[in-house]
This record gives sequence, C-alpha cells and structure tokens, in this order.
Amino acid sequence: MAEEAVKEMETDTDTGIARIYEIGYTIMPTVKGEDLETIVGGIRSEIGKAGGDFIAEGSPSIIRLAYPMSAEEGDKHLEHDRAYFGWIKFEADVAAVRMLEEMLKKNASIMRFIVFRTVREDTRAKMKAPTLREVKRTDTIQVRPRRAEEQAGPVSEEKLERAIQDITAE
Amino acid sequence: MTNILTQNDIRHVDYKDVDLLKQFINPHGRLLSRKRTGLTAKQQRAVEAAVKRARFMGLLPYIQK
Repeated sequence: MAEEAVKEMETDTDTGIARIYEIGYTIMPTVKGEDLETIVGGIRSEIGKAGGDFIAEGSPSIIRLAYPMSAEEGDKHLEHDRAYFGWIKFEADVAAVRMLEEMLKKNASIMRFIVFRTVREDTRAKMKAPTLREVKRTDTIQVRPRRAEEQAGPVSEEKLERAIQDITAE
Repeated sequence: MTNILTQNDIRHVDYKDVDLLKQFINPHGRLLSRKRTGLTAKQQRAVEAAVKRARFMGLLPYIQK
C-alpha cells in the first residue's frame, strides 16, 4: 500500500511525463508585423527544441484590452490599451515548460503570458452566447393600433355642438 | 435546474470564450455567486479559474465602472 503511494508520488513528480499545456501571450502593440512572426517563431522553436508536440494554435491578432496594461519599454513605463493576443496548445514535459517560461520572461516584447495544464480536445465553446437583442435589421416589427381607427373626415358643426353640450351637461 | 454550461453541453470552460464568461459576471465585473449562476460546484470552480485567467490576459476587466 505504502509502496504504491510512493510510486504514485514519483510518477507525479517525474519530469519525463508529457502533458498537455496551453500558453497564452500578449505582445506589445508597437511590434511590427515581421517582428511578430519572429517572436511567435521563437516560442514555437523553443517548444520544438524541448521535444514538444503542437496540438493547436491561435495566431496573434490585435485586440482591445479590457483595461490599460502597463509595460516597460526601455526605461519607460507605457500603458497600452491594445495588444496582440495569441495562444499555443502543445504536449511537453514539465522541464520543457519551465524552460519555456524562463524564455518568455526574458522576452521584452511579451507583455504578459500564462501557462497552464489543459486537455487535448478543443475547449472552445460551440454555443453562441445569447445576446439581449436578437432582432435583425431586416426584421419588420408589426405594431397593432391600440384602439380602433377613428373615422376621419369633416365633422358637421351641428354634431360638434351636440357633442359639446353632452359633455357640459354631465 | 439546468444552467448554461449543461444546456449547451460545455464540459471545458475556456478563458478565451469571453462572451460565455460574460454571462457569469455582473455589470461591475464581479463573479456571480453559485446561487445566481446555477452551476455545479465543479463548473463554478472552472468558470472562476477561466475568468481569472481572462482578467490577467486583459480579455475581461477586473472592475467596471
């Protein structure tokens, strides 16, 4: 019993076991298009060098950040409200992931990154989140009149006077 | 009571699904309680982790005015 537990602990801490990881990264918006490719290529080559297998990837695209993010550029602190966001899902062992984290920390163009364990299958939700208004622009909204249409047309003075008298009599 | 995740057969909550995660936060950007989301304990933990990842990466706000 105790031996089994020790064995399990050993396998847990064993660095040779390949696991599924995902890294998400935000790159400075000031980086040019060609440099973007080299940064992402650097991450890919690091994973490849460490013996990792690629599973899926989301190429970096510029997004509007939910809050301004400060980043060091040289000796200045700048706040950015946009950034390139991309992600890579891969299979690698713990040692490879640690190396990758060190490499990402050193890269000044990467504002933030996140590395976490995930599953092999696609985790993106297939559903379309319901929105408050699901009315298309082309849809016609039919409005029913609240009361019956009144008869239009000229009203004779006699009828008008009679109506006024009825009201005042009450 | 069924919840959004069970209804749509979503087994893994991804931090990149911002539109889905917005269903679980209030107008101030705070996470809704289990009482309001109707999620199971396991699902609620997954949503919490995903929202926190999305916040860190700038996909969701920490606070909204």
